Amino acid sequence: MKLLAFVLLTIALILEASLTTIPFVFLSLLCLLVVSRGNWLFIFAFAFGLILDLVTFKTLGISSAFLVVFLFLVLLYQSKFEIATNAFVFFASFLVSFAYLWLLGYNDNIILQAVASSIIALLLFKLVQKLKFKIYG
Amino acid sequence: MQRRNFVSYFLIFLVLSLIVFGSAKIGLLKPIDSLGKGILAPIQALTYGVFEKITSLGSNSQLETLRAENLALTQKLSNQNKLIEDNKALRDQFQTQNPKSAGLIEADVVGAPMFIPGISVPEVLILDRGESDGIKVGLAVVYQNNLIGKVVGASAFSSSVMLITNSASSFTAKTMATQSQGVIKGQGGGGMILDNVVLSDNLQKQDTVLTKGDVDTEGSGFPPDLVVGKISAVSKNASDLFQKADVKSLIDFSKLSKVFVVVSN
Repeated sequence: MKLLAFVLLTIALILEASLTTIPFVFLSLLCLLVVSRGNWLFIFAFAFGLILDLVTFKTLGISSAFLVVFLFLVLLYQSKFEIATNAFVFFASFLVSFAYLWLLGYNDNIILQAVASSIIALLLFKLVQKLKFKIYG
Repeated sequence: MQRRNFVSYFLIFLVLSLIVFGSAKIGLLKPIDSLGKGILAPIQALTYGVFEKITSLGSNSQLETLRAENLALTQKLSNQNKLIEDNKALRDQFQTQNPKSAGLIEADVVGAPMFIPGISVPEVLILDRGESDGIKVGLAVVYQNNLIGKVVGASAFSSSVMLITNSASSFTAKTMATQSQGVIKGQGGGGMILDNVVLSDNLQKQDTVLTKGDVDTEGSGFPPDLVVGKISAVSKNASDLFQKADVKSLIDFSKLSKVFVVVSN
């Protein structure tokens, strides 16, 4: 699962750094967390957050802190409620994409971008579930 | 047990992230930051090139040759246009009295993060000049005598500029005709307001707004009398403490390709 996470996050990082402003790294982390629920994802969140800051000219550590807090909130929520559902992935990705874009000073079309992020998150969630089932059974 | 486990992971990595963030903010990680950017820039360029190659797979070779020729010609034309534009920008800047051209460093705009043409407007510009060229955080960026923004980040070979329309931007200003003083606040999305103007002052539509000047002893800050924009609407209510006005910059930030950093006044 860690190898799958590494590959998926690397692809997400490349996409986010080269092509688009949609927060692919965060969406991938959400899907991986919902499927695996592993604490090791904190290490990935920290490391990939740092690289993301480097390639997108942000202050080092800001994305890491955001991603780590986000993982913590999802894990807190999963101790009370079920998180491996389409509804959770959709709403969580919408809310956090909105907060992420707003915090980074992005002012236009935040809602549209957040909706696009939610749809991508849903597709990623299905993909990660299938990959996990195929690779790890 | 598992809950305590993830709380400890969270705390460890949150503290680590905050330490990194704090160190980066005060400039302790500048060498690592520059080194990391230096290593990752070619990888980023390579992946971007790969994406371009992937999109061109399966296309007709003759068409590709024509496309390549077209591209080469367009590039020549673009280079020529750029030379003409650069020449004009430099000529205009040298003719400008304030700020003096001797204290300026010219820089090319190489990026505008989160700017999507037709959907959003630029809030931040990335310049191809950095600390090795004498750029430092806090310096004003101009085009002719128009204020563009302020340097908010600088690595060895590049820097980022927060535009005056950015919602985090705020500085003191005055109007040209009536000498009313106030604070210019960026509104995001390309807008600005002149706020905190006392009710007894007279704000006029179409009046030019200039910087009041807030240069500190290290040379950082905005020099006085740079053009911020023109007043497009005035909002004055007798019940309010202050009056305010909408201000529009004379510069289209999305079309800037060359700007000048004010290193000394």
